[in-house]
Amino acid sequence: MSDKPMRLSRGLVFILREESGVAYSELIKNFEKIRSYMRDFYVYGFKSRDDYTQKSARSYDDERRRIESWLGDCMGFRQTSGGKSVFISIDSRLQRGNPLFRAWKSCSFTDGDITLHFFIFDILYSPEVKCSMAEIHEGIEKRQQLFLQARVFDESTIRKKLKEYEEQGIVKKEKVGHTVLYSRCESPAFDGADALMFFSEIAPCGVIGSFLLDKLPPQKTPFAFKHHYITHTLDSDILCSLFDAIDRRCEVTLEVLNRRKTPFTITTLPLKIFISVQNGRQYLMSYSEYNDRIFSTRLDNIISVKIGDVCENFESYRQKLEDMQKNLWGVSIGRGAKEHIEFTVRCVKGEEYIFDRMMREKRCGIVVRLDENTCRFSAEVYDAGELVPWIRTFICRIVKLKCTNDDIVQKFKDDLEQMYRLYGIKEEALV
Amino acid sequence: MIFSELYGTYYNAVAKILTAAVERDVPLAQMREIIRSAAFEESVFEIEPAITSQRWNLISKDGKTDIERKPTMPLTNLQKRWLKAISLDKRIKLFDVKFDGLEDVQPLFRPEDIYVFDSFSDGDDYENEQYVKNFRVALDAVKNNYPIKIKYTDRRGFASFIAARPLRLEYSEKDDKFRLYISGSRGMSTINLGRAQSCERLAENVSFTEKKTAPVSKTVTIELVNERNALERVMLHFAHFEKQAERIDDTHYRLTITYDSDDENEMIIRFLSFGPFVKVVQPQRFAELIKDRLYRQLDCGL
Repeated sequence: MSDKPMRLSRGLVFILREESGVAYSELIKNFEKIRSYMRDFYVYGFKSRDDYTQKSARSYDDERRRIESWLGDCMGFRQTSGGKSVFISIDSRLQRGNPLFRAWKSCSFTDGDITLHFFIFDILYSPEVKCSMAEIHEGIEKRQQLFLQARVFDESTIRKKLKEYEEQGIVKKEKVGHTVLYSRCESPAFDGADALMFFSEIAPCGVIGSFLLDKLPPQKTPFAFKHHYITHTLDSDILCSLFDAIDRRCEVTLEVLNRRKTPFTITTLPLKIFISVQNGRQYLMSYSEYNDRIFSTRLDNIISVKIGDVCENFESYRQKLEDMQKNLWGVSIGRGAKEHIEFTVRCVKGEEYIFDRMMREKRCGIVVRLDENTCRFSAEVYDAGELVPWIRTFICRIVKLKCTNDDIVQKFKDDLEQMYRLYGIKEEALV
Repeated sequence: MIFSELYGTYYNAVAKILTAAVERDVPLAQMREIIRSAAFEESVFEIEPAITSQRWNLISKDGKTDIERKPTMPLTNLQKRWLKAISLDKRIKLFDVKFDGLEDVQPLFRPEDIYVFDSFSDGDDYENEQYVKNFRVALDAVKNNYPIKIKYTDRRGFASFIAARPLRLEYSEKDDKFRLYISGSRGMSTINLGRAQSCERLAENVSFTEKKTAPVSKTVTIELVNERNALERVMLHFAHFEKQAERIDDTHYRLTITYDSDDENEMIIRFLSFGPFVKVVQPQRFAELIKDRLYRQLDCGL
């Protein structure tokens, strides 16, 4: 028999024992391992078990089962000709609260960790209570009188845990004479549950807001969210480290996946985080001294962040990026030279909202109303190709497209021709 | 930094059991109930044995504890830094909150550390006092389930009144706007909060009718071809919908998306933005809407 629980049907689990093999646990030590599985289940949702099992079938089964346990009803299964595919399906407008936060609440711990945690904060129950190591030791023993066998914690274990809590800012120590005294830190009383329910969904590293909400009595959120991308939740730790590096004006060494999903390492100076609210991607904009250029890196491709030395010239590189922003449509710097792009749309009577739409949706450049029925957008940008998806949204009205990069115009027209073929437009028009 | 057992579901569940046990013995059934509501689906199979086999020495088999007070933990540096960061957000003014005790805390990020590059430029005015007042009335009404009277500017620019029960406040980061879902005499509808001139609680003696309706959902099926990384772009772009995806062959995929019928025009332009990599296949009515636009484009003579 084994320690490995097997799911026989939903909610029915048998604990089996097996001499060899590691016991299955819902909790995990390393978040990176689960990150790509969750992303694939949420974003793609069509991959079958065979697509994941190149490395280890057992690893896939364990990760799938963990995610299923965390996310419950958000998980779905479908039997296809390629095998059973697992997906996470969430309608962000109906789902209350980001379910991917649950993954961040699955960190494993030892029996000693949890026991010590509750003992320490029961002993140091208010900031005024200051205890020596001996008093804490005594307090731990006192709190195990119910049990036949007391768990023994040596001084170095307790000291290590207290040091960990000092680093987290929840315990502080001070020296009084020759004695070191420990106490819990003061904590601001924040009871803005509405603000937490809102910002945990839309602010960067929103999962931290969810941790704060866990401290409050559960309540129904008054908010819903449209166009709500939550995939970046899985990159919260990476983002947090990058914010820390930006705050300290430090370089970072990043381990990044390239297009072929092979890891490589770069050292760069983080300047700003660019966020798309139209696809949920987050990008690090950073300066590479090696290439003397600013470039973007998708956060979901970053595996790890190691903070390095302080860069004295941070402000000047950030200023350079801010100067470039007025000519950036997205995040691409292209070849570093600006391209001119313009297009003209024609509206009929009653379609004035198209002009308003252009004004509202443009990220840079200008919109000029040429006459009652036509308006033109034009801009100087580093990568005109980034505008193509937006220009396509005006299909049915585009009368002119010009760009200093001829390839963009040609590709746009070729794509349009392909769309006509795809829907049988030209054939029908000829008939 | 973020991934720590301190914020974990198990610590929270155990804290809840201890909170109950400090007051009176917690029977096993109650323990299980707390775990089920506070933790993951299978957590009961890990937490319960840890308690009953006395691996943690926090609660005895019969639900007693030597812990003396209800468990609490101060805010960590990370939590304080995040709170400080949101205190600097322009939208915080919508909420009547104070951030006492965070004066010396470094924010985790500042507004200038972030750049949202594709939100629309005509977002709501969070500096406007009347807007903030309207938001707070609407929020309170949603939470406490009472009807309100809204004076608003309609699409033609005229002032109108409506009496309705606010159901929820919906925020779109892309639009940077709040919409209020309301239930009134014409059923469920929405109103852009930015259009509201005033919101006030409806006097109790004012009669108010409410017709119960539900939003209408529709589905659309597209086929996509994985060229120029279209698969990832499309899947990410439509990630926030309830959807089903399947692989047709090595380069073709089918995606069925459930959307709100009010958003049909938006869906059309979102599909068009992917050019020839996305084709609407079902329903035929939707495909005709795309074709109509393409016919009109053909006439533009580009």
